[in-house]
Amino acid sequence: MRGFLLNRLSQSLILLLIVSIIGFVVLNLLPGGPLAQFGLDPGMTQDDLDRLKEQLGLNRPLWMQYLDWIWRLLQGDWGHSFRDNAPVLSVIGRHLFATLLLMGTSTAIAIAIGTWIGIRGATHRYSLFDHLATVGAMVALSIPTFWFGLVGIYIFSLKLGWVPAGNMYTIGDGSVLNYLHHLILPSIVLSLVHVAIWSRYMRTSTLDAISQDFVKTARAKGLTERRVIMKHVVGNALLPMITLAGVQLPSILTGALVTETVFTWPGMGRLFLDSLGYSDYPVVMGLLMFSAILVILGNLIADIAVAIVDPRIRLG
Amino acid sequence: MTERSNTNPNYSRRDALRLMALGGAAGLIAPNLLGKPAFAQNPPASPTGRVIVGFSQEPTVFNPLMPHTECDDAVHFSVFDALVRMDPKGVLQPNLVAEVPSQKNGGISEDGLLWRIRLRDDVRWHDGQPFTAEDVKFTLELITNPKFRAWRTAGHSLVRDIKVVSPTELTWRMEEAFAPYLSFLAETFMVPKHILEKEADPNAAAFNQAPVGTGAFKWAQRIAGDHIELVANTDYAGAGPYLERLVFKYIPDMTVLYTQFKSGDIDLVDQAFITADNYAEASTLPDRVVMLERGASVESIYLNLEKPQFKDPAVRQALYAAIDRKAILEGLYYGVHNPTETFMPQNSYYYNPNLPAQEFNIERARQILDEAGWVPGSDGIRVKDGVRLSFANSTTSGNHLREQTQQFLQQTFAEIGVEMTISNLPAAVMWGDFWLKSQFESAISGVTNVIAGDPDVANRLHTKAIVAKGGKGSNTGQYSNPEVDALLDKGTRTFDREERRAIYLRVQEIVRQDLPFLPLFAYANVFGRKKGLEGFEANSNARVASWHAAGWHWKD
Amino acid sequence: MTALVANAGQGRWWRSRTVRRFTSHHLALLGLAMITLLTLACVFGPYLLPYDSLYIDLRARFSPPLTGHHYLGTDPLGRDLAARLLMAGRISLAVAFFAMLLSTLIGTLVGVVAGYRGGWIGAALMRTVDGFLSFPSIFLLLALAVALKPSPAMVTVIIAVTSWMEVARIVEAEVRSLREREFVLAGRMLGLSGAHIMFREILPNAMGPIIVAATLTVAHAILLEAYISFLGYGIQPPLASWGNMLEGAQQYLASAPWLAIIPGAAITIAVTSFNFIGDGLRDALDVRDDRV
Repeated sequence: MRGFLLNRLSQSLILLLIVSIIGFVVLNLLPGGPLAQFGLDPGMTQDDLDRLKEQLGLNRPLWMQYLDWIWRLLQGDWGHSFRDNAPVLSVIGRHLFATLLLMGTSTAIAIAIGTWIGIRGATHRYSLFDHLATVGAMVALSIPTFWFGLVGIYIFSLKLGWVPAGNMYTIGDGSVLNYLHHLILPSIVLSLVHVAIWSRYMRTSTLDAISQDFVKTARAKGLTERRVIMKHVVGNALLPMITLAGVQLPSILTGALVTETVFTWPGMGRLFLDSLGYSDYPVVMGLLMFSAILVILGNLIADIAVAIVDPRIRLG
Repeated sequence: MTERSNTNPNYSRRDALRLMALGGAAGLIAPNLLGKPAFAQNPPASPTGRVIVGFSQEPTVFNPLMPHTECDDAVHFSVFDALVRMDPKGVLQPNLVAEVPSQKNGGISEDGLLWRIRLRDDVRWHDGQPFTAEDVKFTLELITNPKFRAWRTAGHSLVRDIKVVSPTELTWRMEEAFAPYLSFLAETFMVPKHILEKEADPNAAAFNQAPVGTGAFKWAQRIAGDHIELVANTDYAGAGPYLERLVFKYIPDMTVLYTQFKSGDIDLVDQAFITADNYAEASTLPDRVVMLERGASVESIYLNLEKPQFKDPAVRQALYAAIDRKAILEGLYYGVHNPTETFMPQNSYYYNPNLPAQEFNIERARQILDEAGWVPGSDGIRVKDGVRLSFANSTTSGNHLREQTQQFLQQTFAEIGVEMTISNLPAAVMWGDFWLKSQFESAISGVTNVIAGDPDVANRLHTKAIVAKGGKGSNTGQYSNPEVDALLDKGTRTFDREERRAIYLRVQEIVRQDLPFLPLFAYANVFGRKKGLEGFEANSNARVASWHAAGWHWKD
Repeated sequence: MTALVANAGQGRWWRSRTVRRFTSHHLALLGLAMITLLTLACVFGPYLLPYDSLYIDLRARFSPPLTGHHYLGTDPLGRDLAARLLMAGRISLAVAFFAMLLSTLIGTLVGVVAGYRGGWIGAALMRTVDGFLSFPSIFLLLALAVALKPSPAMVTVIIAVTSWMEVARIVEAEVRSLREREFVLAGRMLGLSGAHIMFREILPNAMGPIIVAATLTVAHAILLEAYISFLGYGIQPPLASWGNMLEGAQQYLASAPWLAIIPGAAITIAVTSFNFIGDGLRDALDVRDDRV
C-alpha cells in the first residue's frame, strides 16, 4: 500500500508538472495581456503601461516567469491576481463554495436517479423501461448542457415563473430555502449528463452482479427477488461505481463551467472565464492547477476506495 | 415614469419629439450643486435605509491609486474624497479643499507653475485621525513612487517640491504648465498617510482589501464574486450620507441585471446600465424612474491612417457617407443613442454643435470614390495604384450589438465596392498591443476621450501620442495634423475656460474635416432606479452612476 | 476481433455479419438516416431557400418562424434563420468531421507507438495522455481558442488537440494485447520492420474500436464546437456555426426564443445520431463496451 501510494504520488507530481507547463505556454501564446483592460483608458499613457509591465514582471522571458511562478508555488505562494491583487488561493477559495454546492447537489441527484434507473433497467432487462432508459441516456448525452439550461430557463423561469433565471441567492435573503430555490434548475441541468452516464454504468454493473454465484445462492435460499436485489446485487454493483465517481470529476467541472455561465452562478467556472477575459494569468493558472489536483486526487481516492472495499484488487 | 435631464441647451428636435413620444412626465431638470439633492428638500436627519446598486462588472480594486476600471470608481467615490469634484455641469467644486484653486484666487500662479492648496480643517479619516496636508503630500508622492503600482501618472509626474505649509495648506511647483491637472485631481482620491506609511510594500497592504477613507461611507465587508457592503460615515464632513447602508451587487450578465431591476431586487442600475433593447420596456415599469442620460463615450470606427487604404481622405469621406447611421441607431440600438460628429461628449461645455452633419448617401459615396480614381476591379472591389479597397475590422468578440453593426456595415460597404472583413478578438488581445501599437486595420470602439470632463485630448490626437512612431499616448489611429498639434499644445497651457473653449471648438472642426475616425454615435446611458430613491443625479463627467451616493436617500 | 477491413475483402460485404448486425440495430439506422438527411439538407438546402444566409434586412428582424418565406424566422439582423442553420451545419459538421480525422490520426499514432514499443517511450506517451486528460478539456480548449485566431480550420485543430487522448488509450490497450499474438511474433521472426508490424499487421486488427471511437468523437466534436462558440471563443461571425448561432441567443430568450431553440435542436439531433451510429457499430464490430 505504501509503495503504491508513493508511486502514484510521484506520478501525480510529474503529471502536475506537465499540466503546468502546457497551461503556462498556452496562456502566454496570447498577444495582449492583463494590461489590455487599460487600453481604452483615456488617462493611461504608454509610459504607465510599460512601468506596470515591469512592476508586474511581465517583461521577463517566458521561462524565467515560469520558473519564478513554479518556485513560488513550491513554497506555497500561488501568486496574486492581477485584477484585484488578492492572493490567488483566496480568490479561488471565495468561488469554491458555489461550485462545490452546485457540483455536490447535481452529483447527488445523478447518483440517486442514475442508480435507480440502472438497477431497474438491469432487473427488467429488455423491458420498455429499459429501452426508453437506453435511448434516453443517449439523447441526454447528446444535448449541449448550456442549451438544456437555456430551454429550462425559457420554460420554467420565463414562461412558468417557478424558479429564478439565475444567481445563487437573492441579496438580503440568505435563507437555505432561498438557496435551494435557486439551486433547482442549474443542478438538474448539470446532472442530466451524469444521470445518463451513471445509469448506463449501473445497469452493466448490476447485470454483472446478477450473474454471480452468490446471487444464485441467495435465490436458491428462497429469498424474495426484492431482497436479493437490495442486499446482494446493489451492494456489489455499487463497488465499481466508486471509480466512476472519481473519473467523472473533470467532466463535472466542465459542465459546471458552462452551467455557471448560463445561470450566472458565482463559482469557479465564471471565475475562469472572467480571468481568461482579463488575461489574469495567476488566477487562470491557479484554477488549472487546482482542477488538475482535484482530478488526480479524485482518481487516487477512487482507486484506494476500491482497493479497501474489494480485497480482490491488490494495489501495486 | 420617464424623465430626461438634459444639460445640453442644444438638444435637437428629435430629442424633443422623443420626449413627447414617450409621454412620460418629462421635464428638463436643472443639475444641482453638490450636497443639495435634486427634488428632496428634506432628507432624513440620521442615515436610514439601504440601497442596492447593481453592476455588470465586479469592483475588485479598492486602493483608488492602483490600476482599476470604471466600476471600481463607485467604491472610491463613496469611501474616499478627492481635493475637488467635477459636478454634472462640468464645473469643479471643492471637496477636500476649502476653495478650488484658480489663477483668479491666487491658488495657481499666472504662469500656471506654482500651486497653493488650502484644505478644509474639519475632515477626519474613518478611524478618527484628522486629515491634513501631510496626507495630500503622501498621496501625490506615492503615485510617483517607482515601487508603487500606480494607475495614471499623467500630470502627477510634473509635480515637484511639495511643501506642507501648515496642516491645512500646501504648495507645489509644476515642471510645466498643465491646465488639465486640476480636473485630474477630481479623480485622485486621498489615501491616509498614517496607515500606508507603515507598510513595507504598499502594493500588498491590508488597506487595499479594506480601505479607510474620508468619504461618506465606510468599508463594511466584501463577499467576493457577489457584493460589497458599505455603511454610513456619520462623521462625514460634507452633506450626507442619508443612507445607513450602501450595497454594490455584482451581476455578471446584462440581461439578469435588468431582470433584477425589474423584479426590485436591486434599487439602482449602475455600470453598464440598462441595455438599449430594454429601454422601451423599462420606461413603462411602475414605480421605477428610468432616465436616458448622455454619456461621455463616443462609438466610432477607428481607421489606422498609416494603412494605404485609408491615407486617401476621399476613402474616409466615402466610407462615412456609406454608413446608414439612422438604421444602425434606430434598428440595432433601439434609438437610444445620439448621432454625433465629434469626439467631445455632448454634455460638455466644449462640445461643438455646429459641425456639418453626416448624410447617408450611397450614390455620393460611389461618386467620391470614382472621382478619386478608385476603380472597381474584376471582383467588384475598387483598386487604385495597386491598393485594393479591402480591410479588416476588429472589435471585442462577444459584443453582440457591435458584431451586428459590423455585419450591417459589411453589407453597405460592399455596395460601394469596398470589402470589409470581420476579425474580432477577445478583449485581452484586442485592446493590448494590437490596439495600442496600431496593429489593427480598422476597429470599432466606444471611447471616452476626455478625463474627468477636461477637454484635453492630446493623448488621443496629438502626433506625439502615436506609440507606433515612438510617441507616448494612445493616438492609435496615427492621426497627425500640425495645426491640431499646435492647438492642443496651447490648450494644455491655457487655464481660462473661454479661451480653452475657442481652442477646442476649432480642434473639433478640423478633426471633422479630416475624419481620422468615423463617429457612429454618442452613447446615452439608460439609468434606472426605484421611485422613492431621491437625491440621485447623473453626471457624464464621472464614469459611474454612484458618483455621489452621499446625497441619496429614500423618500420618507 | 472482426474488422471492417477484413470483411471487405471477402466478396459481398453487405452480406457480412457486421453489416447484418448493424442493420438490425434500429437506432443506428435511424441515426444514419438522420445524419444523411441533415448532411444532404446542409449541402443542397441553401440553394433551395429564397434567402441568402448573409443577407441583412433590418426591417424583417426578429420575425418568428413561419413568417412569409422565413420558415424558421429571422435573427437580430433580419437574416433568414433557415438559411443560416443550414450554412452553419456545413461548418459545424465539417469542423467535427475533420477534427475527428485529425484526432483519430494523432490518437492512433500515439496509441500504436506507446502500445507496441512500451518501455519508457510508452510510459512517457501515456503520462502525456494522462496529463491532457487531467485538464477539464474545456479549460484547455478555451485557453487555446483565446490564444489562437479562431478560424474554422483553427477550431478544428484545437478540438482535435484536446480530444485525441481517448482514442490513444483505446488503441494502446488494444495494441498491447495484440503485441504478443502469434501473427506479430511471426512477423518479427520474418524480420519485418517495427513500423511495418505496427501499421500493417497490428493496426488493421485494431480497426474496430478505432472506428467506434471515431464515430463517437464526431459527436463529441460537434458538442465541443458548440461549447466554445457559445462562449464566444469559437467560430466568429458573420460565418455561422450551430454554436455561435446560440451565442447571444440568451439575451433574446424572452422575446425571440426560436433563436435559442432551433440551433440547439439541430445540435442535439446531429449528436444523437452519431451516438446512435456509434452504438450500432459497437454491437456490429463486437467492440467491448467500455465507453457509454
